[in-house]
Amino acid sequence: MALVEVRDLKMYYRTLRGHVKAVDSVSFDIERGKAVGIAGESGCGKSSMAISILRLLPRNGEYHGGSVVMNGQDILKMPEEQFRKDVRWKQISMIFQGAMNALNPVHRVGDQIVEAILEHEDVSHEEAVSRTKDLFDLVGINPNRFGEYPHEFSGGMKQRAVIAMALACHPDLIIADEPTTALDVMVQAQILKAIGELREELNLSMMLITHDLSVIAQTCDSVVIMYAGKVAEYGSVMDVYVNPTHPYAMGLVKSFPNIHAERSPVRSLPGFPPNLIAPPTGCRFHPRCPLADEECMTVEPPLREVSRKKHYVACHKAEIVEQGVDIWAQ
Amino acid sequence: MGFRSYVIKRLVYALIVLYVILTLNFVLFRVMPGDPTKMIIDPNFTPEAKAELRSQYGLDDPPLKQYVTYMGNLLKFDMGLSFSTRRPVWSELKERLPNTIKLFLCTFILTSLTGMRLGVKAAANPGSFTDRVVITAGLFTHAVPTFFIQLLMLLLFGYYWPILPIHGTMSAPPPAGGWNIFLDRLWHLVLPVTSNMIVGFGSWALYARNTMTEALGQDYIITARAKGISEKDVLYHHALRSVLPPIVTLLFMSLPGMVSGAVITESIFSWHGVGRYLLDATLQMDYPAAQGAFYLIALAVVISNLLADIAYGLVDPRIRVGAGGAK
Repeated sequence: MALVEVRDLKMYYRTLRGHVKAVDSVSFDIERGKAVGIAGESGCGKSSMAISILRLLPRNGEYHGGSVVMNGQDILKMPEEQFRKDVRWKQISMIFQGAMNALNPVHRVGDQIVEAILEHEDVSHEEAVSRTKDLFDLVGINPNRFGEYPHEFSGGMKQRAVIAMALACHPDLIIADEPTTALDVMVQAQILKAIGELREELNLSMMLITHDLSVIAQTCDSVVIMYAGKVAEYGSVMDVYVNPTHPYAMGLVKSFPNIHAERSPVRSLPGFPPNLIAPPTGCRFHPRCPLADEECMTVEPPLREVSRKKHYVACHKAEIVEQGVDIWAQ
Repeated sequence: MGFRSYVIKRLVYALIVLYVILTLNFVLFRVMPGDPTKMIIDPNFTPEAKAELRSQYGLDDPPLKQYVTYMGNLLKFDMGLSFSTRRPVWSELKERLPNTIKLFLCTFILTSLTGMRLGVKAAANPGSFTDRVVITAGLFTHAVPTFFIQLLMLLLFGYYWPILPIHGTMSAPPPAGGWNIFLDRLWHLVLPVTSNMIVGFGSWALYARNTMTEALGQDYIITARAKGISEKDVLYHHALRSVLPPIVTLLFMSLPGMVSGAVITESIFSWHGVGRYLLDATLQMDYPAAQGAFYLIALAVVISNLLADIAYGLVDPRIRVGAGGAK
């Protein structure tokens, strides 16, 4: 059984003009010790999914069905207080974009980690401090910097501190939301390496959210490609990257230059992501899809397994795309 | 280095500002229209007598000499004699100062605490009933002039339900016994302080609500919630703590405004304090007295700004670094 099973999760934002369907019937699994990458354009519901799993919805966020089962329990149905004490940070922790504002500027970095330990575990303050220093060491920060404030850390160090924080209570699952987005490529590589090593060392499961497909290729086992709040394609990194079967996924993969391939101009996907208050009927991608026909405009494609095992695609035309035709060639 | 050099730097700035204010205070009274001597010299005096009096007050000295005398005397808190009472201005101010400080501290502490508590409550539940009541009431009373509310309260509690003392700092004759005197003085504080609270809590509540709403939208609040920190700790330990620097600054910055606000409050409630003294002195063209009162207010402003800077450095770790290195 998978560590986490997300089934049919629906989370909408209430707005004056109607519901924004940010997460709409999303299903996928996170296996123990494996990493799942969530990819997609800005506004496709990636981050909304992360906060849905940790139940950190803003005031106008609402669940409209679905379940998140972890260790046999639907964590969306848990009483709030129990969820806060037992699940948050203890079972699921999160790596935020540390370079930005994830650390409170007026508290010492070390104290912010100690706080998390003391909230969930019955240990003395001294022990929490020494554990925090060990964590600093683990992520490559000098433990002597325990008492410094976030502004005294560089962007890369802040990101390391945020990772240390996420590891503080030995969680089963870590959700990483754009952990390297604000960092330059050198630091990005270091951080990704650190995350990879820690995952191996601690046998952690991870859900990595990013718009950068290369980051997922480097760190994840499987990938969920989201489009307009829905799963477009879901499968192992190998399957999805080598044989992208959803036109959108294919477009995404093709829009990344390949260092080993023949030189060809980098392509972009024409059009814009749809308005999620009134998403297009049928397949949500049809206004941008070169293969769209009558069926695509009216019937919503279900997520189905194509020729490879555990490779799911939500597209009526998957069979055509599968043949390897470059549908995005003009 | 660090915090101490920061404080020293602020202190030097404060002294410079004080010096400039005192100089302006000197110049202003000399370029103002009207002849101060008219107040003390009978127009029927002979020119010789007039000149004699002028030289007694030092008014015929060259401006530079007057300036030096003025500065020297101020350092000794010698503000000259009041034109109207012929008593030293400083001793007159000294006996009023405790009353003003008392009124002012009570008003200040109660108003800011009440306002901020309500603002935090409103920010924690945006759109709730509490939120709407706090915002509406706060905006309304804030928009109404202070004296209007105070006159209204005078009318209500002095005329329709005469249950509260409406003027003075204590009963005459004062009741016997130390405890009773204390209670009597406290009782006299009720109307001036509540009226100021009604007028003043709104700006605090709105300010606290806005800064808190902004803080609650920050990423580190989501981090704190994700860590499983209880909502109360998120609210006070993370959100309020992070907006404390601007609030503390505002607290101290509002001190001078409240000193001058005392002028109105003290006049309406016939409070024997510095504010009313300033008003009376100005109306009677009592220049030494007005100058002395201005001096005190300027001093209060400079000191509160200095305190604001120091407090800001204490609550915001980032400021200390600005002063040159963390350690």
